[in-house]
Amino acid sequence: MSELLIMENINKAFFGVKVLKDVQFCLHQGEVHVILGENGAGKSTLIKILSGAYPLDSGRVFIEGKDIDMASYNPEVASRMGIVTIYQNFHLVPHLTVAENISLSNFPMKKGTIDWKVVQKTAKNVLENINFNVDPNCPVKKLSVSQKQMLEIAIALSKNAKIIIMDEPTAAISKKEVETLFQLITEIKKKNVGIIYISHKLEEIKVIGDTITILRDGRNVGTMPVGGVHLNEIVSLMIGKEMKTLEKKRSYLSREPMIEFKSFNRKGSFENINLNIGKGEIVGLTGLIGAGKTELARAIFGVDRLDTGKFYYNGCEISIRGPKEAIQHGIGYLPEDRDVSGLCLNMPVKDNVSLVYLAKLRERVFGIPAEKALAKRYIDQLKIKSTGLYQQVKYLSGGNKQKVIFAKWLAAHCQFLVLDEPTIGIDVGAREDIYNLIYDYVQAEERAVLFISSDISEVLSVSDRIVVMARGRLVAELNPNVTTKQEIMARCLNLS
Amino acid sequence: MNQTGPDGNRQKRNILSVIQDLYRQQSISMLFILIIMWIILSVLSPYFFTINNLFEITLQSAVIALIAAGESFVIFSGGIDLSVGSVFAFSAIVGGLALQFTGSIMLSILASIGAGLFAGFCNGLAIIKLKIPPFVATLGMMGIARGLALILCNGVPIYGLPRGYMWIGQGRIAGIIPVPTIIVIILFTFMFFILRNTRFGRFTYSIGSNAEATRLSGIKISSVILGIYMISGMFASIAAVIESARLGTMQPAAGNGYELLAIGSVFIGGASIFGGEGNIFASLIGALLVTTIRNGLNILGVSAFYQYVVNGLIIIFAVAADQIRRNR
Repeated sequence: MSELLIMENINKAFFGVKVLKDVQFCLHQGEVHVILGENGAGKSTLIKILSGAYPLDSGRVFIEGKDIDMASYNPEVASRMGIVTIYQNFHLVPHLTVAENISLSNFPMKKGTIDWKVVQKTAKNVLENINFNVDPNCPVKKLSVSQKQMLEIAIALSKNAKIIIMDEPTAAISKKEVETLFQLITEIKKKNVGIIYISHKLEEIKVIGDTITILRDGRNVGTMPVGGVHLNEIVSLMIGKEMKTLEKKRSYLSREPMIEFKSFNRKGSFENINLNIGKGEIVGLTGLIGAGKTELARAIFGVDRLDTGKFYYNGCEISIRGPKEAIQHGIGYLPEDRDVSGLCLNMPVKDNVSLVYLAKLRERVFGIPAEKALAKRYIDQLKIKSTGLYQQVKYLSGGNKQKVIFAKWLAAHCQFLVLDEPTIGIDVGAREDIYNLIYDYVQAEERAVLFISSDISEVLSVSDRIVVMARGRLVAELNPNVTTKQEIMARCLNLS
Repeated sequence: MNQTGPDGNRQKRNILSVIQDLYRQQSISMLFILIIMWIILSVLSPYFFTINNLFEITLQSAVIALIAAGESFVIFSGGIDLSVGSVFAFSAIVGGLALQFTGSIMLSILASIGAGLFAGFCNGLAIIKLKIPPFVATLGMMGIARGLALILCNGVPIYGLPRGYMWIGQGRIAGIIPVPTIIVIILFTFMFFILRNTRFGRFTYSIGSNAEATRLSGIKISSVILGIYMISGMFASIAAVIESARLGTMQPAAGNGYELLAIGSVFIGGASIFGGEGNIFASLIGALLVTTIRNGLNILGVSAFYQYVVNGLIIIFAVAADQIRRNR
């Protein structure tokens, strides 16, 4: 097996935060190379550098021994070099047929019109090449997710792909389809194609992987053959040493319940969620991406409807049909994508802070001086750094933007906050501010917080109690004083 | 303030930043352009800078300014209302018919305003219930309202308005200030207050800035949107009453192309095409500028045909200027 791809000393930083540090990576012909790592470990950044989506800061890349000029590297060059990423039906045109999609980039022409006979013949060859049995005249939108994946792989191979990147290919397909996919992967390995395979499902990695590379905090912490390695070894490499520096500020006590969810169900998102949150408690909810955390948060806040389930607030059943009712019951929600659904970016800080307060206000008319005083109070209290009440929110840093959303809910006197990834994209110093905000928030009476995060060390240090979600279900409840990062990660991965 | 030394410097910088802020405000630069244009036109033509002509401009601009006031709400909320010109004609004809049947000026005006509100209500309903983009919904209404105007009067203009009605468009307070000018000042002040000090006004901006964030802040955005389009329809009908009174007739073909002028006025005032920003008085400056250009072209004897071209160019340049400033 010769080396297909060598990446040497790859460095990449976003806004001064290093996400890849001297990463080495090597892929051989006919190899399935698995990349593993926690959320934010740098997996997707590495992949995006390889596929040309991001430029790198420093480092060298060799493809088939050829030194690649990374200054002029972009997605087009990458695809010409034979590097293909299989996103979930990213490259396919849904309204065209399978055959048309196969010939899309290079339609055979005869006398200025498309030669449909050749289109059909090409399609037949391409599909037979991987023993993929599908009607070439079927529109792509009628195919299942896994069939679309197969089609993408078939198209990639027909264009002489040398490196195929698969990002969580089994996330949305059934067990049986996974088997078919793995057969296909075994087949294409024989054609000397190298495969970079990203997945969280450790049991699959044992089946399909040849080599495994583990990234942690942007570093390659180990590359090894899959054969001899133990699952527990992999998990501890992913997590690293247990950090004891984070001091537990709060305790695991049984409390009087304030919020109770009874058998929350929403088809395709989560099922049978039962959870109590006590007065003054911070419950940390963690899980991998796609575990259903955000879906649950949205349902609690009434953005998406529950199929079934009962919601008790201080012992009384309440029904929430939309965000408006949720807010009237004193529930607040920090969405994970704060720019898209949390803030009015081109409006002043003042207007953003007062928005929910005004929504709850009875009077139609309000006074500007009172509004200014309200905004000023929370800007001072949360130490929001801005040039003034009238600065547009879009000019603030990530941490300060998040504080503005906090201020918005505090100003409306919310009693229960659902925080979805409140520190995502925020630098370390500002994170500390956000944590302190959460601690201060629950100090007051009759307050509770559901803290959702896929950053395990953060959940461990912030929460009074940790619940773990996997594949739409709550799979574990853990005490942060006695549990470890390894245990949480194992539960996230649903190992037992 | 008892500031000395470095604090004095800071104050200087404050003045500088105030000037920079003013420069960033498109409405201020447009006000300058308006004044420069007045100076140029008065040099070019002895007729321009006469009391009569200046009041003529405020009169002419009253109609466009009022339509632009309603359009401002729509554009601040991130939408667009193309139907205002047709709704203008529709509500004029409805008012005219009401006048013919009842003979009451009051009922006629109420009928006009009711027609405008109704058209706006239909626009809003199509947007929030049928989930049609505002551009398409109001484009449809543009055809419907024009058609209804023609159907209702059988294509024949309505003449013979009573003197009391005509006073709305032709009367002068204290023998000098035109009634429409007074109406414009009162309504703009009122609407400025609505946008600044009411929940409805604030939500108009926040929907334009980020509808999803507004919804997640517990605001029922559908009823706000309905209100916004009803205001737009209402202002089109108020403008129609004034123009009918000024000309002494209701025309089913009236208001043709007014949507272009009204939308242009709002953009000249510096509103963002993406919503969330803007000032209604800036739209008033925009309307004055648009009318001045038209008036100036008339006085200079430029054919009316060229005025359409100029109107189109105004919109393009207003938005382009805004984009350039934003990207800086």
